[in-house]
Amino acid sequence: MNSEANNISSPIVSAKGVSLSYGDYVVLHDVTFNAIRGQALVVMGGSGCGKSTLLKSLVGLLEPVSGAIRYGDQDFWASDNQKRDEISRRFGILYQGGALWSSMSLLENVSLPLEMFTELSPKEVREIAEYKLSLVGLSGFGDFRPAQLSGGMRKRGGLARAMSLDPEILFFDEPSAGLDPLSSRRLDDLILELKETLGITFIVVTHELPSIFAIADDSIFLDAESKTLLACGHPATLRDECSEDKVRHFLLRQSNFS
Amino acid sequence: MTVEQGQSPLGRVNCKVEKGVLHCRFTGRWTIDTVSQEASRLSWKRGLADEKDIIKVSFEIGEGAEWDSALVVFIRSCLIDCKESKLSVDMSRLPSGLCKLFLMTKEKLVEKVELDGSEQGFLTAVGELVFAVAEATLSSVHFLGEWTLSLFRMFRFKSRFRPSDFLESCRACGAAALPIVTLVSFLTGLTMAFVGSVQLAKFNARIYVADLVSLAMVREMGGLMVAIVMAGRTGAAFAAELGNMKLNEEIDSLRTFGISPMDFLILPRTLALFVMIPMLTLYADVVGMLGGMVVGLFVMDFSFHHYIEQTQTALSSMWDIYSGLAKTIVFGGIIGMVGCQKGLNCGNDSAALGNAVTSAVVTSITLVVVADALFEVFYNVMGWR
Repeated sequence: MNSEANNISSPIVSAKGVSLSYGDYVVLHDVTFNAIRGQALVVMGGSGCGKSTLLKSLVGLLEPVSGAIRYGDQDFWASDNQKRDEISRRFGILYQGGALWSSMSLLENVSLPLEMFTELSPKEVREIAEYKLSLVGLSGFGDFRPAQLSGGMRKRGGLARAMSLDPEILFFDEPSAGLDPLSSRRLDDLILELKETLGITFIVVTHELPSIFAIADDSIFLDAESKTLLACGHPATLRDECSEDKVRHFLLRQSNFS
Repeated sequence: MTVEQGQSPLGRVNCKVEKGVLHCRFTGRWTIDTVSQEASRLSWKRGLADEKDIIKVSFEIGEGAEWDSALVVFIRSCLIDCKESKLSVDMSRLPSGLCKLFLMTKEKLVEKVELDGSEQGFLTAVGELVFAVAEATLSSVHFLGEWTLSLFRMFRFKSRFRPSDFLESCRACGAAALPIVTLVSFLTGLTMAFVGSVQLAKFNARIYVADLVSLAMVREMGGLMVAIVMAGRTGAAFAAELGNMKLNEEIDSLRTFGISPMDFLILPRTLALFVMIPMLTLYADVVGMLGGMVVGLFVMDFSFHHYIEQTQTALSSMWDIYSGLAKTIVFGGIIGMVGCQKGLNCGNDSAALGNAVTSAVVTSITLVVVADALFEVFYNVMGWR
């Protein structure tokens, strides 16, 4: 561990003036925020506000038009491909549908990153993969194909894979989408537990209010209309004190046409 | 009008004017399963047009009337008419449920959201087509370049695909294709022998059927038939598989792990085709000649020995076989790369996936036929025959 890790409140991920667009269509404009090591940052906002797009650019799938994304003291997009791959290996991502590789079994899915990026023996790889699966409550399902699993199990499988390389940061894209309230609650509990025990930093994109209040240490609110970051802070504080009506209405689940 | 027993009569609107107020009373059955309400629309229009001095329209619903969306839509169109002729509307006598339905849709009453670029002139369409073609060409070249880089990485042992993936692809596009390749090439040989025998009989040169079938299979038909079967079978499968992986974000998840989809998914698939297509072609050549021999032995009554000997003489120069096989390596490359590229560049919905698969098959068959012709011209110009 480097010295930076000891400084508990230093930002592990930071975005400064990031603007994103698809072709000519601007999605987000001038977004700036910090994610603190060991905390859960929730990215919230209505549908179509660019939450998932922001996530894409944080993990290296969409280059920002302007602005910088930094991991620790490294500028992510200014680095060359090899450097960026190295940084990528410090984080894991859970996609909306789990995005498990459909041609492989669950165990192979979790072991592949280990096989590729570590010098471990096949036996050790298998042991670690099985341990990660049991961490998300899927031990014994290793030989199942993704198609044979339910939506919730696929998501947990995706989480096991995202954690395979012991990442410092975990990104979640809509963890509760398509899950029943109980499964989504369990996933929230799992996030809290992992945060506490492993000290992983979480960046979670979601619009589910119960999840937001359950897991967030900090949050940012993106707005579809102005295409900017409208507010940041702890969701409970934002709900009670935010000066922007939109943010309060969102967090209180009030419709603005009434 | 006759009314069926047990059913309320068809929906009608009665318009009556009282002190400058047009009273519209809806009676009968206003449901979407009744016949069209055009007649009522006419009587509403007439009611509105006849009276010049009305200032207000009032809607009400008659005793025992049934209604659903049909009435809502009718009144909505009335409201638009009222708005145009600047009449005030009184809806207080309508049932509260019906009024709520209007309130819910009030803001969307007249405005229409314009879809971007829905209307375009001829010149715009031509311009966009040119850009689309240019972009498609550029992305193909880009793909080819990436593929080549990935191949170099593999030779330097830096590429990261699993040998088992390569073997699985070989099985899927090689061994698993044997039955259909057998059928198609056997029948091709058989058909050519039949067609040839009729023509050659005119010159009293029937034994040359053996030459015709063996040369045609080896030089041309074997490779072409295999390529067409592979384009429909494997090219389509590649496009569908990769397209589906893209829809599922599986490709994205490979990328974010720092695993290049080119190295991990596309290289093993295309290399498998490179290796398997020439082998399948050799097999198809042999089966096609067998098909010809069946006609030679059982229809034209040549002896087995005679037919084999004639075939051997025809194929005495190995060049015919090599030239046929050389082409198929290129065919394999075309089919594999087109299939993978279409899948990887697939859009984000299931319709786009269908388009990607169709376009993969059509493009690869077209390119294979073009490449085949170019090869023949090339051989001819170089005098290799």
